[in-house]
Amino acid sequence: MSAVAGHALSLQRVSKRYGDFVAVQDASLEVASGQFLTLLGPSGSGKTTILMMIAGFVEPTEGRVLLDGRDITALPPERRDFGMVFQGYALFPHMTVAENVAFPLRVRKLGRAERDAKVRAALDLVQLDRFAERKPSQLSGGQQQRVALARALVFDPALLLLDEPLSALDKKLRAELQEELKALHRRVGRTFINVTHDQEEALSLSDEIAILNHGHLIQVGAPETLYERPATRFVADFLGKSNFIEGEAEADAGGFVLRRGAARVVASGAPRAGRTLLSLRPEKIALLPEGATEDNVVEGRIASWSYVGTGYALTVMTPDLGNIRVHLPAWRIPVSPAEGLPVRLGWARDAAVAVAEDPGSPVPGGVA
Amino acid sequence: MGGHRPGWLNGTLAWATVIYLILPITIILPVSLTDQRFLSLPYERLSAQHYVTLLTTPAWTNAILQSAWIATASTLLAVVLGTLCAIGCWRLSRRSTDLVRALMLLPIIIPTITYAVGLYRYFARLGLLDSFTGVVIAHGVTGIPYVVITVSTALAAFDPRLESAARGMGASLGQTLRWVILPRIMPGIVSGAIFAFIHSWDELVVVLFIASRRVFTLPRKIWDGINENLDPAMAAVAVLLVGMTVLLLLMDLALRRRRTG
Ligand SMILES: Nc1ncnc2c1ncn2[C@@H]1O[C@H](COP(=O)(O)OP(=O)(O)OP(=O)(O)O)[C@@H](O)[C@H]1O
Ligand SMILES: [Mg+2]
Repeated sequence: MSAVAGHALSLQRVSKRYGDFVAVQDASLEVASGQFLTLLGPSGSGKTTILMMIAGFVEPTEGRVLLDGRDITALPPERRDFGMVFQGYALFPHMTVAENVAFPLRVRKLGRAERDAKVRAALDLVQLDRFAERKPSQLSGGQQQRVALARALVFDPALLLLDEPLSALDKKLRAELQEELKALHRRVGRTFINVTHDQEEALSLSDEIAILNHGHLIQVGAPETLYERPATRFVADFLGKSNFIEGEAEADAGGFVLRRGAARVVASGAPRAGRTLLSLRPEKIALLPEGATEDNVVEGRIASWSYVGTGYALTVMTPDLGNIRVHLPAWRIPVSPAEGLPVRLGWARDAAVAVAEDPGSPVPGGVA
Repeated sequence: MGGHRPGWLNGTLAWATVIYLILPITIILPVSLTDQRFLSLPYERLSAQHYVTLLTTPAWTNAILQSAWIATASTLLAVVLGTLCAIGCWRLSRRSTDLVRALMLLPIIIPTITYAVGLYRYFARLGLLDSFTGVVIAHGVTGIPYVVITVSTALAAFDPRLESAARGMGASLGQTLRWVILPRIMPGIVSGAIFAFIHSWDELVVVLFIASRRVFTLPRKIWDGINENLDPAMAAVAVLLVGMTVLLLLMDLALRRRRTG
């Protein structure tokens, strides 16, 4: 593949309405050249709609789509030159693997020799050279997915759009292909925009994640940022799991302290006052052994527990803060868990972050 | 397949129906092999003389050729128009296109005789009566519904994402049509063509109305023959007609089998 860099893409205040139903509301997004961006959100949140507006299959009701600074909002899809992997692959069933991959080159009227060479290179890239003469129906799901990738990459597009390319696969194959996708992205150096509702996939693949809910773009950022510093309750809950503690905050020396009934929770960060919602990840809470102490200590009893392979998932009933979920690796649990067992929970003051409530109700127009 | 075995009553009824449907056709075969000079069952031995007559009498060979030509040309017309109409309706797919599709089925909904009377008046004004072109147009138009039905069925099974995929890869409408849509619906088109051909091949009523001296299709020749003399060659022609139709239907069946198998 040549050394051309990927396209930079930007969405400027893009909205899409169907009648009075709002599928995407005022979304702005910058994707830098060569970046791997993932659109993440629950079903119906508008991910495909945004991708289709980028691809040109759906026309935005408002806003503009820019490619390297050029307005392409009105450009039809066949003139955008993007590679695309559709939800469910959309391979041509009447063509062989090689013919499928050759399709974009045939459209571009490339010479026979050049076409064959490029097809071979693309199939090599996804390690499918041995399957060139098969029909898609004779391939496994993972192989079909790689054909779709090869077909999207063969004409060297500067921007690759992927709509849930891995959703049809089983967990193990998905993990494998995630690796391949990531390696591929590094090798070809193009801009990738991926859609998924699988948070693990988003976290492990992306340079940047854009989180969507009810057609709103809630937060965009690097995976670590989004995971460690979620902006809203929805982000904290959707990306990983979270406990929420709500109370009245007031500033103190190291950040702020949150009061809820008799309990006091200290947290670091910008001092704040008034009603505050804290997000606390289950894996940042420890079960304190006898005599140990932490910035925050809460007592409770184990309400339920389960073994999940990587460790234990506990729900601890506390008098002051309600149910708290705790996730611990097996070697960090000082007792053998049992229902009703009294435990002391502890976490550092920088473990919890303040998050905003989400922009109240769903988008006007109604969402199920 | 699971399910109940049909009871004896059901079975008997079904077979009776089949025999009732097939009997007239099976009678034709021995009659066509008669050794007599009039329509009858063979008296002493089987004879192919009437087939020989059929293939050596210019009037008959002419009719066969005419029928074949008309059927081929009208099939071409029906396939092109029917396919375009079905694809157009499918691409637009609005409520109004349902109406268009229903309209295209009119030729097989309206009684043929009504249609024929209408055509007669219309063609008289256009000077198409008793012309080759006239019959081709009439058969082509009445053959369209078969093509619209089979192609629409094929399109309903066509995954619209394939079209999006093709366009997303830069294909123009023409390229998408040629390389993606048409190959996918080809079995439907071929089916439609076969039915349109059969339709023209054994159509009589319309021809009776709009043809007089110049155009003599096979069914019309039989019709005239029955009215004039009871030549057993007609039975041979009938066998030829039925044989051709059965052959085409088998071809359609084989194509379908290959598609699903
Ligand atoms: N053509 C349309 N007409 C009306 N509503 C539509 C149309 N296309 C999408 N929508 C609505 O827009 C919303 C967003 O749809 P979209 O396909 O973008 O969701 P998604 O995030 O891709 O979901 P999924 O994960 O299930 O694929 C949905 O509520 C959907 O019902
Ligand atoms: Mg989707």
